[in-house]
Amino acid sequence: MQAAVTMSDLTKRFGEFTSVDHVSLEIMEGEIFGLIGPNGAGKTTLIRMLTTLYPPTSGKATVAGFDILREPDSVRASIGVLPQAMTLDNELTAWENMNIYAKYYHVPPQIREERIRELLKMVGLLERADYRVARFSGGMKRRLELVRSLIHRPRVLFLDEPTTGLDPQARNAVWDYLRKLRDEEKTTLVITTHFLDEAETLCDRVAIIDYGKVIAIGTSAELKRAATGGDVIEASFSSLGEDILDALEKLPIIRKVTKSQAGLTLLVENGAEALPRIVESVNASGGKIKSMTMREPTLDDVFLHFTGRSIREDTRIGRRRFIGMRGSFTR
Amino acid sequence: MIGALWVCERDIRKFVHQPFMMGVALIGPFLMLILLGYAFGGAVENVPIAIVKQSQGATSDRILDAIIADKSFRSTQVQDLNSARRMLEQGRVRAILYIPSGFDTAIDHGNQAFVELYLDNTDPVSSSATRGALSRIVSETARPEEVAIRPVLGGVVLDVAEYYRKVEYVEFMAPGSIIQALFIASMMGGGISIIMDRQRGVIEGYLVTPLKQAEIIVGVLLAGLIKAIFSASGMLILAVLFAGVRPNTTLPGVILTSTTILLTGLGLISMMTAFAVRTPLVEVYQLSVVPINMILYFASGAVYPIEGFPSWMRMIASVNPEAYAVHALRQIMYKSADLAAVAGDFAFLVVFTCLMCFLATVAFKRAL
Repeated sequence: MQAAVTMSDLTKRFGEFTSVDHVSLEIMEGEIFGLIGPNGAGKTTLIRMLTTLYPPTSGKATVAGFDILREPDSVRASIGVLPQAMTLDNELTAWENMNIYAKYYHVPPQIREERIRELLKMVGLLERADYRVARFSGGMKRRLELVRSLIHRPRVLFLDEPTTGLDPQARNAVWDYLRKLRDEEKTTLVITTHFLDEAETLCDRVAIIDYGKVIAIGTSAELKRAATGGDVIEASFSSLGEDILDALEKLPIIRKVTKSQAGLTLLVENGAEALPRIVESVNASGGKIKSMTMREPTLDDVFLHFTGRSIREDTRIGRRRFIGMRGSFTR
Repeated sequence: MIGALWVCERDIRKFVHQPFMMGVALIGPFLMLILLGYAFGGAVENVPIAIVKQSQGATSDRILDAIIADKSFRSTQVQDLNSARRMLEQGRVRAILYIPSGFDTAIDHGNQAFVELYLDNTDPVSSSATRGALSRIVSETARPEEVAIRPVLGGVVLDVAEYYRKVEYVEFMAPGSIIQALFIASMMGGGISIIMDRQRGVIEGYLVTPLKQAEIIVGVLLAGLIKAIFSASGMLILAVLFAGVRPNTTLPGVILTSTTILLTGLGLISMMTAFAVRTPLVEVYQLSVVPINMILYFASGAVYPIEGFPSWMRMIASVNPEAYAVHALRQIMYKSADLAAVAGDFAFLVVFTCLMCFLATVAFKRAL
């Protein structure tokens, strides 16, 4: 298999601030590759460099075999970009939105119509081709925007948070189209997300990015094995003192203890063995367990392991949503 | 460069899908034209006039001195009537006072004497003021205490020739409204839509397609220009329907009118584009364009002749593109002027438009 995207020591600095810090990655052809990390981790900057919007401060990258600095025109002709914010024209019909993009990408007039018809059909919007986009639901708009980015059959498709703001049903629909696209067209997909389930169910491989650095890379199964090597136990307590925490941390079978909203999250090698030991230890130090659950680790646990904090704790996510809402009012 | 056409097509399609917005752009200039147009009038000062004095004598000298001393006029002495007429046709003077060679001799012989007044009546406010002030001066100077002149007192007649057809005040205002419609369309089409597109990431979306920077800039300016011309044409039609404007429909007249609108439109759209891409907030932009519109419009001579302005406002007018555009349109529409008559206006507009195109390109590139 050939690499669709390569990066070596790719770095972007804004003044003193290093947004992307010596990133080296290879993304294979036909792969669905996820970039996960909290907002501000450098994912979007990385995508902007790969899509020729920002020149890198140092390092090199190729997309679809073209150097991003020396052959930006060839890169642009071979990529599709689904930006985070909605950039459809509400005043125009679905067909017009597609047609104008087909022209931007120099899709020959003879095949333009057929291609638009085919793509609209794929996302179930062909019957609404002549409706103004203003009348579409959020999910319909996202689907339309997705196929608009496919109008020139790009070899690499960059998707910046493709399902943010969609309800679960619409998210599933988008995921289905993306898988179909990869299976049928062999398109390489590079997806940024802070939804861990999205990375887990959709992506073949995932890179975790924090403070501009790639801190882990692999399939989600590999990452989970590397990070936890076992099970996750969530415990909640009727009473929880500092001494209980100390006692648990001293247990050799427990690899990591973190406080969560409900109580404690414990990473252990073998859940079945660890459960009775934890109960004993808590009881011995005078605590009282309310409930305990054992589960398979998720990418959130992986993120916790590698960064020492939960991806959901990041308050910037909330603030960004608010700005998004303001944006929709001014529109 | 074909990409510029597609960028332009998108903007024009959006425009066509919003017929309501087209109407909104015309409401302001139209109301201004109708309300002010039918309500205004006033005294004028510093009107440029040419004096052709071909008679030698005490009476004609006194008339000349009195006119030079009067603050209503800024007078220039010209040797012959033909060159004075040329000045009138080119808009350099508003009136010609012609004192024919037999004037003083006629008075000396006790006969009736005539002076002739040629008025640029396409500007009704200043032409009526000019007529009034000149009649007063001629009758006053012909009533001195010198006995020799007394007999011919009643014989001095001011002979007025209206040089053009009568132009109502509302017609006088119409060119200003057409230019204002250009400005408002530039402000909305060139300005607000660019800010919105930038906020929404549409412009950034362009940059990941094979579109070239130059294609994006040309496409955006072209779309803005088409919208502005559409708006100005709409205003012209409204002016014909509701303000009784009879534009110059000869071939040269149509060509010169279109050239003025095209040139001014491109200049204004570039100016507003340059301004808009440097203004990140749509609210800031909307608040600042209102005073800009007022300054450009009222300091253009659109509603009142520039000659009536105080000197600081005349300074604004001298660098105001709308002033040159309004002057040119008046010359063309009401005086059937040729290219020579508007050459000065065109020269300014060409320089202005080139400068603004350059500024828009630089500003746009920095914003991309």
